[in-house]
Amino acid sequence: MDLSFLPSFPLPLSYPLLFGVLLVAGMLGGEMARAARLPRIIGYVVVGFVVAPLTQAMGLEPLIERARILVDLALGLALFDLGRRMDLQWMKRDWTLAAAGLAEALLAFAAVLWCLLALGFSAVNASIVASICMATSPVVVMLVVQDDKAEGQVTERVLNLVALNSLLASILTTILLASAHLESRMAVETALLHPAYLFMGSVLLGGAIAACARFVARAVEKTADLHFTLIAGMVVGAVGLSVILRLSVILTLLAFGLFTRNDARKYDVLDVSLAPASRLLYIVLFVITGASLPPSALLTGAAAGMALAGARLAGKLAGAFAFSLLGGLRARQAAGLALGLAPVSTLALMLYYGVARQFPGFADEVEAAFLSMVIVMEVLGPIATQWGLRLAGETVPEPAATGHAARADLAGDA
Amino acid sequence: MPLDFKRSNPLTMGVELELMVLNTHNHDLVRGAPDLLARLEKVRMQGEVKPEITESMIEVNTSVNETYDGLLAELVDVRDAIVVAAGRLNVEVAGGGAHPFHKWTERRIFPTERFQRVSALYGYLAKQFTVFGQHIHIGVESGDDAIYLTHHLAPLIPHFIALSASSPFSQGEDTSFETSRLHAVSAFPLSGQLPPVNTWAEFNRYFDEMRGYGIVESMKDFYWDIRPKPEYGTIEIRVCDTPLTVDLAAQLAAYAQTLAAELLRNRRHEPVQPMYRVYGYNRFQASRFGFEGELVDPFRTRHLRIREDILETLERLAPFAAELGTAVPLMALAALAAREANDSRWLRECHQETGSLPDVVRLQAQRWRTDPAPREAAQAGARAMQ
Repeated sequence: MDLSFLPSFPLPLSYPLLFGVLLVAGMLGGEMARAARLPRIIGYVVVGFVVAPLTQAMGLEPLIERARILVDLALGLALFDLGRRMDLQWMKRDWTLAAAGLAEALLAFAAVLWCLLALGFSAVNASIVASICMATSPVVVMLVVQDDKAEGQVTERVLNLVALNSLLASILTTILLASAHLESRMAVETALLHPAYLFMGSVLLGGAIAACARFVARAVEKTADLHFTLIAGMVVGAVGLSVILRLSVILTLLAFGLFTRNDARKYDVLDVSLAPASRLLYIVLFVITGASLPPSALLTGAAAGMALAGARLAGKLAGAFAFSLLGGLRARQAAGLALGLAPVSTLALMLYYGVARQFPGFADEVEAAFLSMVIVMEVLGPIATQWGLRLAGETVPEPAATGHAARADLAGDA
Repeated sequence: MPLDFKRSNPLTMGVELELMVLNTHNHDLVRGAPDLLARLEKVRMQGEVKPEITESMIEVNTSVNETYDGLLAELVDVRDAIVVAAGRLNVEVAGGGAHPFHKWTERRIFPTERFQRVSALYGYLAKQFTVFGQHIHIGVESGDDAIYLTHHLAPLIPHFIALSASSPFSQGEDTSFETSRLHAVSAFPLSGQLPPVNTWAEFNRYFDEMRGYGIVESMKDFYWDIRPKPEYGTIEIRVCDTPLTVDLAAQLAAYAQTLAAELLRNRRHEPVQPMYRVYGYNRFQASRFGFEGELVDPFRTRHLRIREDILETLERLAPFAAELGTAVPLMALAALAAREANDSRWLRECHQETGSLPDVVRLQAQRWRTDPAPREAAQAGARAMQ
């Protein structure tokens, strides 16, 4: 009997299956978190923690590397969306906004660097980790904003500052690659050329794709449907090109978004919302991120990780709070804004893996501490952002009264 | 207790303008009013800027002005102050009677006690009331004059509708109306017109009766097209869409002022009932067709295009305009009517050109910022000319 029509064992990995299972599981986790009055993201990540042993058993570890393309797509989409919200004109009109962005990023860098040096880490590795720690997770902030329907000054400012610190962290990490190259005794030319290629290449590619998007946009009718399709296609294409050219997906897509918004011809491409579609990718992204974080890191790195998280948060809070007050925000708003910048997630992980892949020595030294910090912040970050936006009064208030109660009130008035 | 009518100088005027607060990325309405108002509190200016029912609206109230020139200068000053504050917050402000594509479900009620109560009572009507109107106040000496003017301005309400119309789009669609905003007002149970009373004393009896039923507490509860405003000593015309420029807002006020002057000098004695029998029809014609609408004149049983009626009226007002210093704005309105170039037409042309409603809103915000040129720029230009 010929049984060749049956699948052969062991069953090969199927990406559609993986995507589907992680999506539905993540969604359910998110709703459970919601029921517990926590941000949905925490649910997605916890599903990842639970899934991790399963993927290990299936030999899919490390999941974040196996499903790299999904991660790149989700992160690329988020960074494009964020770049599109960053308004350089605004920063020109209100210098305190740019100043708050620089201050919170640099103070976070300094605080983390000081902390790691005090804990006895090497200067080069400590400075790379410090530069990664400047970044706030774009996806966490955007999803909390969506879920709580946050709208207003603080929300807009947080999104702009997240774009700015993602940009600064990506650039500084790329530059610091040079010193890591040098320390590992690579030729000087390579040490300088690699970061230069990553930076210039990514920005140029982002700019070229933005120009291309505008060109196509002018050729079609200006409806939300068509422009959504255009943007989705361009974002996926940009991620693909960036991967093929071995550039930085993060920088390319951030540049694409920035050029789309801050160009003289910026009105060619409609600013359509990507929200319902992008959530599919983001849910899977967080499940994968959760699954790729080894809880074992906490065994050796918990203390250092907590110190790292504390130093980073202190730097961010001080910088953002001080300059936001100076910019005319009320104290509650300034505090809310500063808290909003807390999350750390996939962007930082991808920057970390980008360095670790090339320098195993880097990973050996900092992995436990860094991953511990990320694990802690995966849970605390979304809560901090949610509190922050609530403190600023920009989320939709909980429904206070039902229709009946309202009518009773009015009857009382009359 | 009867409503006291506060005496004020006749023919003084003031304007209220409701304005939209927009984000700068897709030009949808945004929850920007609280921060904008907090900033404007620190700016010294005549008049004031106040919250409105939802957090995407602000309302400008001018001080009492004697002349068109004074009113326009004040409006330009307030406009410039708002533009500077909005720039720092990265929001935009614009005129126009309705936002072309916002979703009313996304609006949030401004957290003051009165607005929360209105919202609890009227449900979704409150959020749908995110529309933007211009109210014109004209000072009168007595309650009796207020009643007289309120009645005899009523036949001219279609003029104000056609001249100010700036809300052709609603919820993402072209409504085919020149103004879609007035429908949001008509939905309220206390919209409509003044009842056929002839004196302030008669009105007081009507008001007491309504208060006795528990239907109203103050004049604020009547959402009429024109109403007496006893606490200010004015009559208030409430049908105008907020124009796209402060220029047109001041011109409309000048028109109301000149009309009132003429009506007070050449007193009319026609009965009011026949005017109100055709009122709804005429109002619809103006909302739907603008200048091309057809008016019914109940006393001469004839039909007349709104455009012709406006032009005839403006001609009749010329001597009064010369006295009041409103000849220039009235000429501008005549030109506007003759070309049928109201703001709704401008908005539709923008839509045709750009093909997208977000672009229309962007252009209307730009027009509000720059037309007429900001005071400082205008002064710098004048210096350069010398």
